[in-house]
Amino acid sequence: MSVRTPKKTREFGPGFFGALASSPFGLLMLFGFVAPLLCVVWFGFMPPKTFELLQVPTLQNYEVIFNQTYFKSILWSLGLAAVTVAILLVICYPLAFALAKIFKGGASFVTYAIATSLFVSENIRLFGWVIGFMKNGVVGGTLAKLLGVQVDSLLYNVPVIILGMVYVYLPFMLFPLTLGVKMVPDQVREAAFDLGANRWQVFKKIDLPLSMPGVLIGSLLVFVLSVGAISEAKILGGQKVVTIASDIESEFTYAQNWPLGSALSTLFIALTAIVVFFALGRFDLEKLLGKKSNE
Amino acid sequence: MNTTHHYNRRDFMKIAGTAAAGLAFSSFPTSAFAAGKRDKELNILCWEGYNSDNVLNPFRKMHKGLSLKAESGTDDPSMINKLRAGEIKVWDLINLNQCWARQQMWGEKLIKPIDKKRFEPYIEKMMPMFYNKTMGINPFALSPDGKELIGMMQRFGPMNFVINTKKISIKAAEEAGLPLFLDPKMKGKYGLLAWDNWNVMHMCLTAGFSPYKMHTPAEVELFKKTAQTLFANAKMISGDPAQLNQALINGEIDAIYSGGTYTCSVARKEGFSEVYHISPLKGPLEGGKGSLQWFEVTSVVNNPDVSPLAEDFLEYVQRPDICHTVAMADASHNPVTQMSQPEVFSKFKKEELNCFQWETLEADMTRSVDYQVVPDNDLLTSIYNEAKRTREG
Repeated sequence: MSVRTPKKTREFGPGFFGALASSPFGLLMLFGFVAPLLCVVWFGFMPPKTFELLQVPTLQNYEVIFNQTYFKSILWSLGLAAVTVAILLVICYPLAFALAKIFKGGASFVTYAIATSLFVSENIRLFGWVIGFMKNGVVGGTLAKLLGVQVDSLLYNVPVIILGMVYVYLPFMLFPLTLGVKMVPDQVREAAFDLGANRWQVFKKIDLPLSMPGVLIGSLLVFVLSVGAISEAKILGGQKVVTIASDIESEFTYAQNWPLGSALSTLFIALTAIVVFFALGRFDLEKLLGKKSNE
Repeated sequence: MNTTHHYNRRDFMKIAGTAAAGLAFSSFPTSAFAAGKRDKELNILCWEGYNSDNVLNPFRKMHKGLSLKAESGTDDPSMINKLRAGEIKVWDLINLNQCWARQQMWGEKLIKPIDKKRFEPYIEKMMPMFYNKTMGINPFALSPDGKELIGMMQRFGPMNFVINTKKISIKAAEEAGLPLFLDPKMKGKYGLLAWDNWNVMHMCLTAGFSPYKMHTPAEVELFKKTAQTLFANAKMISGDPAQLNQALINGEIDAIYSGGTYTCSVARKEGFSEVYHISPLKGPLEGGKGSLQWFEVTSVVNNPDVSPLAEDFLEYVQRPDICHTVAMADASHNPVTQMSQPEVFSKFKKEELNCFQWETLEADMTRSVDYQVVPDNDLLTSIYNEAKRTREG
């Protein structure tokens, strides 16, 4: 008796279909993200004040950066972003806790109210603050009318820049934090209280560690967004400080020096990446999210 | 008759594929398929004003089915950079301040000449500083060899600084000129308009020398000190003239460093006549002048497939009613070169003339020198940016 063997056909495993399905995203990332980034990095090695990509590479732009005071702008950007993250953590954690654990139906209302602010352009919202804080503006005018107190302009200083950044980036901290706090099981908190822990101990030993993924993701999101912020320092701060994003913009526009602008961008991307990876290295996100057990 | 279908996966893929292809084709820019047939498309890169609907809509009505796009830029070099970056194939017209067409774009073949015979009759009717029998056509509208017409001139104005006349007298400001801002009494009383090109030129004038030459090391050092002082003593810096005008009106500042009739015209139109542009009486420029002035030149881009309507649009904005519309555009109000023609001038009301200081405009322009490219701009801009970055105040 002869056994008919099935005709051998080419088999496509799930890996093939997975690769096929992810190819649109892969192509988008390749052409929309990686390629422009490589262009910027490469342009940073082109001779200053030129507009061609195919020239002999040079380190002139980096020499200019290290010989001038661009480090001040970089420090301002990193410093403002770090302060913004710290303030937002303090402001948002209690609100996130309330949204996740205390407010019931009210939580949706607060969430929508905060999310709605994102529908309005950042610049328009910042100009709203300008009207509020300028001399004889909403704040000054009201104080003068009601209390007879004369207040000069509250604009054009570093604290008002930080206020603007805190205001603009609040939703980006609040929502990941709320999700983080939601991950803390109520039973664990209750057990801790039953075992005699006080509020501070519960916060320190239970709430904070278990909501750390939200803290980490919110902080990274806010840091990365605010480190490239430009409008707050310009509109509210009257350019009291010059951020690195402003320097980069200046090189690409008025100065017509694309290679220097590209070199500054490359350096700044690298610095931000180091800070972010350092932060990520301190925390094991997989472990925090419970996907990896303690060893 | 079967009126129902049972779609399987293959049918779905077919339909989705067809739909995607259809969408992709329908969303292609018309230019991709109509190469050489851009008679229904016109793209203008311009300063704000030319992009307003009241300027563009009558032209749209004249050309049914026309896709007319106008994008406003925020500074001349950025707009030129767009062409350099490959958008020469996108734009048909570019509208910039006078020096860029002749001193940069022409040499780099970013623009092409326009029909001299067609436009000369319009130029001959312009104000004397743009055409007169002795000079002929203003050289900034001509190629360096003077043979080709490289653009049409329209909006213009002086650009120096702005004061609040309730705080500083016009006469004192005109006498002092830009060095007024170095007076210790002005510390914390002025705002700095961050239009870097203009500020570099004005800081040269403040330091006491012309921007339009190569500078000696001593002058560069003086420029640095001047820039540092001006940044340190400024109460605020902004790239937005409206924000600075607001601060001037509500008393936060008394003056704006770098500003012109261009920047203060909207506030003046709204009734704040104390917002006033100053053209200094004297200074280190040629002939002892201390004031700068600009005018715009609109050129045809050297687009390999340029719209045949590009020159038509240039001719359209010569119409008296459109001249008035361009002059009184939303974001800024400016005199136009055609105001020498009675049919254009008669369209302006008294308050419109007052908003760009028409009464003193001729005197202001007479004491002004043309905005040009600064020969050592790279060095001065680098020092300027350094002073801004290390600002202490």
